[in-house]
Amino acid sequence: MIVHLNETYLLNYLIAIATSIIIAIGLKMPILPEKPRRFSWTNSAIFPTPIIAIGLLAICFSINFLWIYNGMVLAIIMGLVSALFVKYLFYHVFPNPPEVKEEVNE
Amino acid sequence: MNEIFAIAIATVIAWLNFVIIDTFMGLPEVPGVKGADIVGYSIKKRGGDLAGGFFQGNILCSPDASAGTLLASIGVMLLGIEGGIIAAFLVFIGNRLCADAGYAGTIGALSMTVIVVLFSYIGFTPEMFIVGMVIAITTIQGIHHPSSTTLLGNIAKLMNRYTKLD
Repeated sequence: MIVHLNETYLLNYLIAIATSIIIAIGLKMPILPEKPRRFSWTNSAIFPTPIIAIGLLAICFSINFLWIYNGMVLAIIMGLVSALFVKYLFYHVFPNPPEVKEEVNE
Repeated sequence: MNEIFAIAIATVIAWLNFVIIDTFMGLPEVPGVKGADIVGYSIKKRGGDLAGGFFQGNILCSPDASAGTLLASIGVMLLGIEGGIIAAFLVFIGNRLCADAGYAGTIGALSMTVIVVLFSYIGFTPEMFIVGMVIAITTIQGIHHPSSTTLLGNIAKLMNRYTKLD
């Protein structure tokens, strides 16, 4: 079984990623998390904004909801929504980052 | 026979995918939550490696690249590429609810989606990767903790991600 690539969908994912990153930068979010990046909890333009955008878009595509212009408008809207969500609503939905742990084990 | 051979290859690929991404993202370095801490020290007490124990505790307590690998394979089987991307999105939500920043799980799910799609062109099915991932996680979590954590600890040392705690 070959998993087929749909070029229209791929293009729409790229549009959603680009839109979300550009709008997130426009909203004055940092482009990258601060170092060390693997332990950083800072929401940035690179992570997790595009992940939320393509995740929401994939949910729409999986139920064959493309709306107008083959899903392109939907991709731009999802990019916008995800950037606004990460900037203003994220910590109302998800728990705050845990405090820095300094517990010593017995 | 071909299918068994393919599952063996899929197991190796899934194993490498999640161990490399999880180690690179620092799972053996610090226990993200209290549970991972307890698992790490418990395994150390039974003759295992502390960094490997933290690795095991972390993948047990939150959906990291191991869960991402499995869920992405399942997603691609059900919905194609959309399924893999939805899996990455859901793993990210799960990560944030489990006090984890979410880099390892999300990257693991996305990388596995790409791998499953590419390997489908040479005859591998997503089901083979699901079976492979179950076998891969069994080798880490289910057979012998001291030896599996020693191996994970050695990989962490190789990748410069060994824990500084003791």
